[in-house]
Amino acid sequence: MDIALIGNPNTGKTSLFNNLTGSYEYVGNWSGVTVEKKVGQFKNKKDKLIDLPGIYSLTPLSKDEGVVTQFLLSENVDKMINILDASQLERNLHLTIQLLEYGKPVVIGLNMMDVALKRGFQIEPNQLSNQIGIPLKPVIARTGKGCDMLAEAVTSERLPEPNARIVDYGKDIEEAILRFEKLFDNKPNQSTRWLALQMFEGNQYVIKYLENYIESEQLNQFLLEIKDAIKKSAGTSIDQFIFRKRKETINQIMTDAYIKREQIITPLSEKIDAIVTNKILGLPIFFLLMYLMFMLTFDWLGFPLSDLLDGFITGPLSQTIENLLQAAGASAFIHSLILDGIVAGVGGVLVFVPQIFILFFFISLLEDSGYMARVALVMDRLMEAVGLNGKAFIPMMIGFGCNVPGIMAARTIETPKERLLTILLTPLMSCSARLPVYALFVGAFFVQQKAFIVLSLYILGIAVALILAKLFSSTILKGETSFFVIELPPYRLPQFQALWRSTWDKGKGFVKKAGTFIFAGSVFIWLLSYIGPGGMDVALDDSYLAAIGGFIAPLFEPIGFNTWQAGASLITGFLAKEAIISTMNIIYFVPDEASLQGLLSDYFTPLAGYSFMVFILLYIPCLATVATIYKETGSKKWTAFSMVYALIAAYLLALIIYQGGKLLGFM
Amino acid sequence: MLGKLNKGEKCKIIDISRIDLLVRRRLLDLGITEGTEVCIKCYMPFGGPIMVESCGQCIGIRRVEAVQIEVERL
Ligand SMILES: Nc1nc2c(ncn2[C@@H]2O[C@H](COP(=O)(O)OP(=O)(O)OP(=O)(O)O)[C@@H](O)[C@H]2O)c(=O)[nH]1
Ligand SMILES: [Mg+2]
Repeated sequence: MDIALIGNPNTGKTSLFNNLTGSYEYVGNWSGVTVEKKVGQFKNKKDKLIDLPGIYSLTPLSKDEGVVTQFLLSENVDKMINILDASQLERNLHLTIQLLEYGKPVVIGLNMMDVALKRGFQIEPNQLSNQIGIPLKPVIARTGKGCDMLAEAVTSERLPEPNARIVDYGKDIEEAILRFEKLFDNKPNQSTRWLALQMFEGNQYVIKYLENYIESEQLNQFLLEIKDAIKKSAGTSIDQFIFRKRKETINQIMTDAYIKREQIITPLSEKIDAIVTNKILGLPIFFLLMYLMFMLTFDWLGFPLSDLLDGFITGPLSQTIENLLQAAGASAFIHSLILDGIVAGVGGVLVFVPQIFILFFFISLLEDSGYMARVALVMDRLMEAVGLNGKAFIPMMIGFGCNVPGIMAARTIETPKERLLTILLTPLMSCSARLPVYALFVGAFFVQQKAFIVLSLYILGIAVALILAKLFSSTILKGETSFFVIELPPYRLPQFQALWRSTWDKGKGFVKKAGTFIFAGSVFIWLLSYIGPGGMDVALDDSYLAAIGGFIAPLFEPIGFNTWQAGASLITGFLAKEAIISTMNIIYFVPDEASLQGLLSDYFTPLAGYSFMVFILLYIPCLATVATIYKETGSKKWTAFSMVYALIAAYLLALIIYQGGKLLGFM
Repeated sequence: MLGKLNKGEKCKIIDISRIDLLVRRRLLDLGITEGTEVCIKCYMPFGGPIMVESCGQCIGIRRVEAVQIEVERL
């Protein structure tokens, strides 16, 4: 059986999904965390549970909302779980009514019971269930309380037919629905009542779907007639009329179910908000938090930990492997492959695991606390000035961890133009995979000001994104009104366990990539450096790798790094940014990070080193990101554009920095 | 007009028909329509968005839209 999870945004659908299926999908405290359909299996191993993006209504405004409507139109669902936020019942019930009209059996999961209680609501679940006419189970998805009962109710019980006529829309509309049913020769799978009402509300997905069955002219004619009729009789547009009718029914349900609100308690949330979204303090607080997060990741905590790990990998671990190889009598080839290729390549990346985990921990903290939506609010003015809206800042923040989920998160942006712009610019955010490169170079050239230099790169990425946003939105992506309405969820104290899982889930990707992609890449790069036109085990400068890197290297003369090594690592960096480190470790052929840093100063001046870091920051989205851009825009043109503009911007900026720096007398 | 009230003031919405259709849809989604009571929480600087609260739910909207919402003080 296929059971779909449907509910308003940020009501705990994914929390419940994780609980019922034992999986771990992305949970966060803002609207629009889940942006695509996810399928999992119930613990009974028979039924499938489908997690969907949050929606307020089945008539979508943004792309993630469209996913749900599309799903209901084109795929088979047997039953539905409707998650309601008990502290926002009235608003949530609008969707419930539409689900009842859809006609498939529904069970309600009344979530956030703890929050509702704290806010002084008194809800009697049985009363509410009777009023709506379908089973209802109170749950607390965050802790798992009541989830088993809900699972049992939905999987085992024979569910009652939902009352699709819960709302009486009055004579005009009810008659129109009857006439609408006669328009079909062969009926679609969905309830015609539901289809008709959605069409009246202006649901474009449904209208498009209906055009498969009915001539679009006939459909338009029909729509015009009913719209006119409502305009005449009620004096409003039909969608407002429908909204009002539903609201009347909901008010009735609320009174009949004796839902009361006792003395209203000012939640802690509002006290925190008085500070963090303060007129004067809002922005400074945001920057301060970013600064703290950055310093902890990079300087105070992350650096010493990475150093320890580096010491272990290059010291005891390499030694042990070497001893083992010797004892096994491995050939020189195998010996070199493992130590100079794999350990250097993969180990060089794994060294950064502590820093990356710390970074992900903070990103998870931001996501789960509820601060994310506030950042969007605080940033909106700035973003508006460059042709975006505050919501675009959320994908960018996520992009600091990894650009791929960042780009996906852009789905929640309602206007297509702003969404496209966000997708194009998110890759400029310095993702965690770029961090190792900076760490290496600042260690070699800027030991005194290392945190400052890295911070300058992060800020440069944001600055370039904002400038380009302004440029693109006033040239190639003109027009269309901007739009910003955001829901600010209450703050929630993140639970340690949830935080850890979310950090682990993100960090796991990095470790996994090191074990697979970077591993294979290291072997391959080492092979290219081991063989050359002259045969096996050639001098590095005569290897194929040197030939390939040397081919493009002269292009980088004006920006300060005309070496085949730089050329080769830039090519591999397109596959994954961490691969730059692996490649350098392999080609500079040194036992540990410290000696690599010593060696680097033979090939780069500090100025060229900085220019190189700037180039790495901007030059191209990695392969996985490019694939995501293509998937999300569905356009080869924009995908190509995202690579080309980045390359141009990187080159120009590195050129200005290198040549300008030389003029100013830097080395 | 919402957007002309002071921080902390409460008001009741009487007309939202003048604002852009998309914004109105979103506000409806969030349960904000004629008759809803809202409270101004704060204004962002430099003409940035404003934060209002209704039924325990906080939302942010831009000032251009806020000034098109007719309200009466409570
Ligand atoms: N206090 C409390 N918090 C909850 C409960 N259920 C979920 N949460 C929190 O609510 C937030 C949203 O949870 P999600 O599971 O991501 O919500 P969602 O409905 O999947 O959200 P979208 O994917 O954005 O639509 C998270 O911070 C959860 O920890 C609950 O019963 N009580
Ligand atoms: Mg979700």
